[in-house]
Amino acid sequence: MMRTRFALLLLPLLLGGCATIVDSASQRFANALSAGILSQTDEQVVRDGLPAYLLLVDGFIAEDPDNLRLLLAGADLYGSYAGAFVDDPERAKRLAGRGRDYGERALCVADDALCTAFGGPFDQWDAALALVDADALEPLYGFAAAWATWIQVNSGDWDAIAELPKVEAAMARVVAIDDGFRDGWPHLYLGVLKTQLPPAYGGKPEEGRQHFQQAIDQSQGRNLMARVLFAERYARLVFDQELHDRLLNETLASDVEADGLTLTNVLAHTRARELLEESNDYF
Amino acid sequence: MTTSKFKRGLLGLALLLTVGAAPAATLKIATIAPDGTSWMTEMRAAGKRIEERTEGRVELKFYPGGVMGSASTVLRKMRVGQLHGGAFATSELAEVYPDWALYGMPFLFESMDEVIAVREEIDPLLAEGLEARGLTMVGLAGGGFGYLMSGSRIASRDALIASKVWVPEGDDVAALSLELAGVSPISLPISDVYTGLQTGLIDTVVNTPVGTIAFQWHTRVKYLVDLPVSYVAGGIAIDNRAFRRLSAADQAIMREELEGTLAELQAQDRLDNVGAKAALAGQGIETIPISDEDLAYWHALADRTLDQLNASNDYEFDHVDALREAITRVRAR
Repeated sequence: MMRTRFALLLLPLLLGGCATIVDSASQRFANALSAGILSQTDEQVVRDGLPAYLLLVDGFIAEDPDNLRLLLAGADLYGSYAGAFVDDPERAKRLAGRGRDYGERALCVADDALCTAFGGPFDQWDAALALVDADALEPLYGFAAAWATWIQVNSGDWDAIAELPKVEAAMARVVAIDDGFRDGWPHLYLGVLKTQLPPAYGGKPEEGRQHFQQAIDQSQGRNLMARVLFAERYARLVFDQELHDRLLNETLASDVEADGLTLTNVLAHTRARELLEESNDYF
Repeated sequence: MTTSKFKRGLLGLALLLTVGAAPAATLKIATIAPDGTSWMTEMRAAGKRIEERTEGRVELKFYPGGVMGSASTVLRKMRVGQLHGGAFATSELAEVYPDWALYGMPFLFESMDEVIAVREEIDPLLAEGLEARGLTMVGLAGGGFGYLMSGSRIASRDALIASKVWVPEGDDVAALSLELAGVSPISLPISDVYTGLQTGLIDTVVNTPVGTIAFQWHTRVKYLVDLPVSYVAGGIAIDNRAFRRLSAADQAIMREELEGTLAELQAQDRLDNVGAKAALAGQGIETIPISDEDLAYWHALADRTLDQLNASNDYEFDHVDALREAITRVRAR
């Protein structure tokens, strides 16, 4: 029948992860750099500047290979860069692959059971997730986010697509343990993941809608990407132009500058303009 | 010439020009494929090419993601002119012309090469039947074979009889075939299958590897029986009235573009199903080989089903014999 390829559109989400590097002598420098990235209003500066930071994090990890924070920062930065700023598909796969590897290593440092289960069948992974407690939230989320990017850039590969339910299960476990984790970022992932399929194929867009709403509410409305993805994923899927245009107009009427969200919001503005332009053609 | 006459002249010329060019036709087409899938991306690209090549006379407007409702609803909306076309699975087209259900009969075909050869003969007959009932087929794409997958180890025919087998709602041919084999199938719409697997209402399904992963059913099954069960295909059908309003040249452009696009999607789908089947194994789903004895039984079942379709007054098929003959001919090659 119809071939279904996944349009995950998770790319801009990755910036939500930017973990801070809190160990070692490099701590203050790295923190300042991370804050610099997230508060940047010029996409190009980040696009040009991030590779230097990737080299830096590689160096830190080489010196301290089992450092959980460093591994998570590596997963995060490689994922963000590959997902949001790399146009060449092969290069994006390579860099997202490194992000995923760092994420795996972080998961394995943090939790033996998850480390063993992630490569196996879905029910084993699900069973391992059920035993996770709050201590594993950071590595679990960081790993799942890097994994999502890796699937996104490999969306032509069925081995990658088949892993998607595991990412969804991981994000669902994160919010089950701590609903307000990272001001709603895991909800934003879940919103996107729950709006992959139309109801006729068993999809549950209304569950996606609730997750988008949570992502907006938990960021006090400051995460504009939550509105944009709500419009792009949910409103388009259920064919609600009024909601689509309203969410995007609200996005464009909002200030991009917000603590830790400025760069995300700049990207959200760009995407909102593109989506609004297509609106009358789509609906 | 006075100014007003001159103006009237211009107006007349403008009117003449408008009338001279055929009025633009917007064909509204519904599909279940969500936006962003390769199906929709390719369809939109084909729509653009059709618009360009017909110099704007034909425009396709797509309604993706099932927003126009189920296949039955889309067909009803087409009858009243609210929609002009839709993408349908062959089993859904059977609602208009029953013979379309034949392609999906379990165990009918033995290989993909066989399907392709048989379809060359039978597709035109089915398209003709559809057209006589009001719909023009403008392209058909095969989506591969569905395989039997289950939460329990189905190593024999008896194990299948003992399991809770799903059959798509409205697919009478598949239901009949399974009943002839002693299975009591459980009919559900596709939308309820995942939940059915989760709650244990059903434990055995048939789907293509691609469909299984796309719908995430692979998280609920553990075994795949290594035997192609039923052929899955889908095409685009346009209401005759809307299609015939287009000039012959524009009709030809539309057919050429959509048929070409669907042929490409079919080729890609074949590759995707190979990749997806391997991915299922990678997810820990065990492939169960089929014994020669069972294989012979299942293939004979298709013959028995065809006999039953011919003998029973409950079914009205025109091309059962033609299909059987085509298969025999292709196998004899």
